[in-house]
Amino acid sequence: MRAGPSQEEIRRHNLGALLRHVHLGGPTSRAELTSRMGLNRSTIMALTADLTAAGLVREELPRETGRAGRPSLVVRPESARVYVFAFDVGVDRLVAARVGLGGAILDRRETVRRRGPFSLEEIVGPLAGFARQMRRKTRPDTVCVGAAAAFSGGVNRGNGVVRFGPNMGPAEDVPFAEEMTRRLAFGMPVKVGNDANLAALAEHSRGVGVGCRDLIYLHGDVGVGGGIIVNGQLLGGHAGFGGEIGHMVVNPKGRLCGCGSLGCLEAEVGERTLLEAAGRVPGAVSVATGPGAVPVAAGPGAVSIAAGSGADGHETPRSGADGRRERLIGRDAVRAVVDAADRGDIVAQAALSRVGDWLGLGVANLVNVFNPEMVIFGGMLREVYLGSAAQVRSRLAVDALSASREGLRLRTSALGDDATLMGAAELAFAPVLADPLEALARAGS
Amino acid sequence: MTPVLELRGIDKSFGPVQVLHDVDFSVHPGEVTALVGDNGAGKSTLVKCIGGIHAVDSGEYFFDGKTVQINSPRDAAELGIEIVYQDLALCDNLDIVQNMFLGREHRRGIVLDEDTMEEMAARTLESLSVRTVKSIRQHVSSLSGGQRQTVAIAKAVLWNSKVVILDEPTAALGVAQTAQVLELVRRLADQGLAVVLISHNMNDVFAVSDRIAALYLGRMAAQVRTSDVTHAQVVELITSGRSGDLGLTNGVSA
Repeated sequence: MRAGPSQEEIRRHNLGALLRHVHLGGPTSRAELTSRMGLNRSTIMALTADLTAAGLVREELPRETGRAGRPSLVVRPESARVYVFAFDVGVDRLVAARVGLGGAILDRRETVRRRGPFSLEEIVGPLAGFARQMRRKTRPDTVCVGAAAAFSGGVNRGNGVVRFGPNMGPAEDVPFAEEMTRRLAFGMPVKVGNDANLAALAEHSRGVGVGCRDLIYLHGDVGVGGGIIVNGQLLGGHAGFGGEIGHMVVNPKGRLCGCGSLGCLEAEVGERTLLEAAGRVPGAVSVATGPGAVPVAAGPGAVSIAAGSGADGHETPRSGADGRRERLIGRDAVRAVVDAADRGDIVAQAALSRVGDWLGLGVANLVNVFNPEMVIFGGMLREVYLGSAAQVRSRLAVDALSASREGLRLRTSALGDDATLMGAAELAFAPVLADPLEALARAGS
Repeated sequence: MTPVLELRGIDKSFGPVQVLHDVDFSVHPGEVTALVGDNGAGKSTLVKCIGGIHAVDSGEYFFDGKTVQINSPRDAAELGIEIVYQDLALCDNLDIVQNMFLGREHRRGIVLDEDTMEEMAARTLESLSVRTVKSIRQHVSSLSGGQRQTVAIAKAVLWNSKVVILDEPTAALGVAQTAQVLELVRRLADQGLAVVLISHNMNDVFAVSDRIAALYLGRMAAQVRTSDVTHAQVVELITSGRSGDLGLTNGVSA
């Protein structure tokens, strides 16, 4: 029989726990850490001293306390010094970011990904380029402690091989993690996870789901991904392919899904279905405007500009000629449908209502199986849920068991479009939070 | 859980016209209560009674379980009830901080305490995760519709309010801004406030509410949990005052 954990193991655990507190909770006073971690004051002091010496945190006097007595020092993560690289591979976009300890995005680069046949090079090339650019701009005293990517497809947990990605071109059996590691050549492995799984973890640790033990996150890209957290743990399944909510069959006589089945949730509520039902099929225009991916690439480009020009941008997609509006794909197209429905377009209303109905059915099934505390709608499903909540919740009221839906909260993602990226960052930070000093030593060598 | 605000048997007439008949209405902390009803059902009158603008003819008014007398908007504000009207009542020629403290400015001696006000305003916006505003010293005239709504809501929250009533906050907003305002409404309740949302948009109602109170011709047809009803039922309650075993029978609450 093994004796209890050694002094050294306990210390390592506590260092990690303290670092996790300030990483997720932001600057925290020593007094607060003492009560939250249930440790002795002098222990907290010693742990903070170790982390400060390693350059992971720093201590500062608080600005004001409003209370009598000597103020307790505030422990802050060294966000500007300790960072990771996070990547997000979505159907329409590639994002690379440098994320500091504490979750601050220090630098980010984004480009449009063309829809079309899958090409590993067209994904890895730009991402590795972005990472090198960002690394060149860092100061010499900074340290990179990890790198990870979120991928819109099924990822094998063991080796980071993408097994399937029906909306990515499609992608099958792609050694994505290996190739990223090789091309980045930063001397550390790039971890890879399913985008919706990682986003679920991010929402759980620093988003709308903080404090929830059981939650389900649904991510709408072109298809629908999911992450299921049960009792605080991500449900990965045997090989890490768990949580593919989008491929839950809800309508066996329904539409053909990219995965080959009929009537998957993704096939009934995905972007293509919504746009088709709303009479806004992008394909029709790509024929009219000529070859290949040109209009497709222009679509999401317009998205980022419209989104960047501020929240008032809702007029933008409609301002062009009708032909232009037809050309939209991705988030912008979905938003245009919701907007049209809001302004009384009955075709758009019917499309949203139909999609909302299927979405509600899918969520009702999940609620009956998992009895979650919260269901989170992220990606383009945020807009779809807000635009069809009446249908979604009507379905739930009818089809979910009343005991299972009691206390259920339906929420939209708090991290928004960055949920998947932040999920990748959390994956990259995992080693340094598990064993701070060891991970830092490895990164520095 | 006891309601933070509860009305029982409210009657209100304007001359010969009785606008509210024996209305019961309760609002719980941490929840969004949607107040729905057709035009002329009495939503605005009910809200004005809650806010102390109209005196009720009869009925009881409980706050935190205790019966209270509300004779003026000031009484309601002192209890922590804030109403954000559709027109928002913001001053275009003032900046965000000045608007948030309008009429209730902090003073240090005889001068205004700008630093404290600025910090409180910034902290409130921060606590609501409002990141769309560039500077809190920006004039309100330069803000978009959604940002104005956000400032008006933040102004209501600033005063340690317990109940915030929002009259059609998403009317006239585009999709992106509607989403932001709805998420803000939800966040207010998740932080423990009691929120009343008046809306005609059923998707907005279902997206954020925990309870729905439906008024029909001045009577409370039903107050139900949103998770227990369907869209069709709520529409029936609004248009005919009843739906199955929910609602009014012969014009009287069941």
